[in-house]
Amino acid sequence: MSDTHDDGNMKRINSDLVISVIGLVLAGVVYYFTRDLSRLGVIFVNYVLIGLTVFSVLVLIKAFTKPEHIMFFDSVVERNNIVIGVSILLVYLLALPVIGFLPASYIFYFCFNLYLSEERFTRKSILTSVLLSALVVTLFYCIFQLGLGVPLPTAMWVD
Amino acid sequence: MFDVVLQGLQQVFVPLNFVLLFAGVFLGITFGALPGLTATMGLALLVPFTFTMSPESGLIMLAGIYVGAMYGDAIPAILINTPGTPSAIATTFDGFPLAQKGMAQHALVTAALASTIGSLLANVVLVVAGPPLAAASLKFGPPEYFWLGIFGLTIISALSSGSVIKGFLAGCIGMVLSAVGMASIGGDVRLTFGYPILQGGIDLIVALIGFFCLPEILTSVIGKRRKTYTEKAVEPKLAVIGEVAMKIVKKPLLLLRSAVIGTIVGFAPGAGGNIASMVSYNEARRWSKDPDKYGKGTIDGVAASESANSAMAPGSLIPLLTLGIPGSPAAAVILGALMVHRLKPGADLFTGPEASIIYSFLMGLLVAAFLVSFIGSFGSVIFSRIINIPSRYLAPGIIFMTVLGAYAIRNSMLDVWIMFVFGIIGFVSRKLNFHPAPIVLGLILGPFIEEGLVKSVLAGQFQGVFNYMVFRPISGVLIALCVLSLCWPLIASWRLKKKKGEVA
Repeated sequence: MSDTHDDGNMKRINSDLVISVIGLVLAGVVYYFTRDLSRLGVIFVNYVLIGLTVFSVLVLIKAFTKPEHIMFFDSVVERNNIVIGVSILLVYLLALPVIGFLPASYIFYFCFNLYLSEERFTRKSILTSVLLSALVVTLFYCIFQLGLGVPLPTAMWVD
Repeated sequence: MFDVVLQGLQQVFVPLNFVLLFAGVFLGITFGALPGLTATMGLALLVPFTFTMSPESGLIMLAGIYVGAMYGDAIPAILINTPGTPSAIATTFDGFPLAQKGMAQHALVTAALASTIGSLLANVVLVVAGPPLAAASLKFGPPEYFWLGIFGLTIISALSSGSVIKGFLAGCIGMVLSAVGMASIGGDVRLTFGYPILQGGIDLIVALIGFFCLPEILTSVIGKRRKTYTEKAVEPKLAVIGEVAMKIVKKPLLLLRSAVIGTIVGFAPGAGGNIASMVSYNEARRWSKDPDKYGKGTIDGVAASESANSAMAPGSLIPLLTLGIPGSPAAAVILGALMVHRLKPGADLFTGPEASIIYSFLMGLLVAAFLVSFIGSFGSVIFSRIINIPSRYLAPGIIFMTVLGAYAIRNSMLDVWIMFVFGIIGFVSRKLNFHPAPIVLGLILGPFIEEGLVKSVLAGQFQGVFNYMVFRPISGVLIALCVLSLCWPLIASWRLKKKKGEVA
């Protein structure tokens, strides 16, 4: 958002402005995609859209009269941690349907465990991560796939 | 009647039946505790195993699963801020803050004892006044459901500590999300963007995991690199059970009110434990002498939520057993089990030749409630230690389980992606001081409100929709409660000023 304040390395943002803009954009998108609904299908949506627009406008007014400025991340380190953590999770989700549940989960658990570890590349840490990933993932695989019959994602090349 | 009740009780204490009940409670707690698995799924999975059993044994085991799951969902809600089922959403509001203070065991014991008390009271109502109450449940028409949903929305004023306007904006976003999928009346397909699986709507558990669990891990474990999941480690002691029990018995009004709310919401067909627990939480906060302590970690909040959602279970059986109308999805599975055992719902069920079977089931629910307090209280010593596990071990496991839980609901990767996106939205909204709880509330209540509204518009077109929706006795009471609920912050502030004036 344009209304920002510097605070060292991190910028403060007008949270009310962000929220109200998101609300108004969402209202616009929902209105656009629900124009052709039947009379019954649109009753509820219309009332909700009115509410969404009214409350977004009220927050927008607040954004200019009594704004709330917040710092999104407390530090650069926190921001980097979040970006790396989310990236690991993202790669895991992308890998699930490609290489299958078991290999993707073993790799994810191992990597994530190692990433959160303080002594990242010691022999003990690596061994613990390997053992834990094998134990936890296999246990839950047995419960869900074998016990409850949930068909978990398989690799692309498996029919 | 007393003889049949005794016969039912005797059946429960037949060794085989008691073992089945115990196993049922244990399985129920496990199903409730694992995000992605619910009481309904547990019952549906285990109903086939009861086919070969005698009707008494089969129904007693199902009673155990049902009651166990109603408690089990509180365990992850308290320990990792992830409700095991939607019924435990209000338990997170105070349960997780208690865990953060190192009082996870207090919260777990409270949940177990409050669940037992709520369940017991609702069971007594079911046994004593089931048939007349079932007749009353038929008076709940579309306008009543609409107003009950609106009343549920008023809890937003309690959930949005910073700004009520932002809270209602979040509630509207939640209701927009609830509109995704096929409209229950009219059949319009809305906002699915070409994904057929979204025709069934956004699954509530997926949303709960996304909005509650992932943001907590992103903020505390990944972002701040906290070494344990909570700020303070738990030191479980058996003495805590007695300490909490003493505190709980000193709150009869809170427990009674929550159990009554749970029972009433339960016997209104279609309303579930999530609505019961949230309405009860809101009322507990409203009538508390110190409402500010709610949301910061008080056992009163946990007790209100758990007592109500456990009372909902027997409450939902009232219309089921007397009218054949299931009050909740889990009750619908139990209806199937009754049919398999050739038990036909109706008033005759309580007086006819099958009375002993049905009272075995009811007594099973009653004894299961005691087993929950036993397993829950003593189990808290073990369960609460989970959050002492270093977060480097716990967090990957939790994320892995959330992915698995989200996937298992509909065997769809789309649900996992929705969970991930909601997790990011939940994280961002927390950072913006925009609590995601009202979004989830809107998502839960949206379908309920829509169905009540659209059916009212259809049914009331001759006498006038406004007249049809407003001038009905139960609607009148609910409207009055909505107005009271919305005006309550003003009333409370006026009372506070008056009190301060008197002191001065």
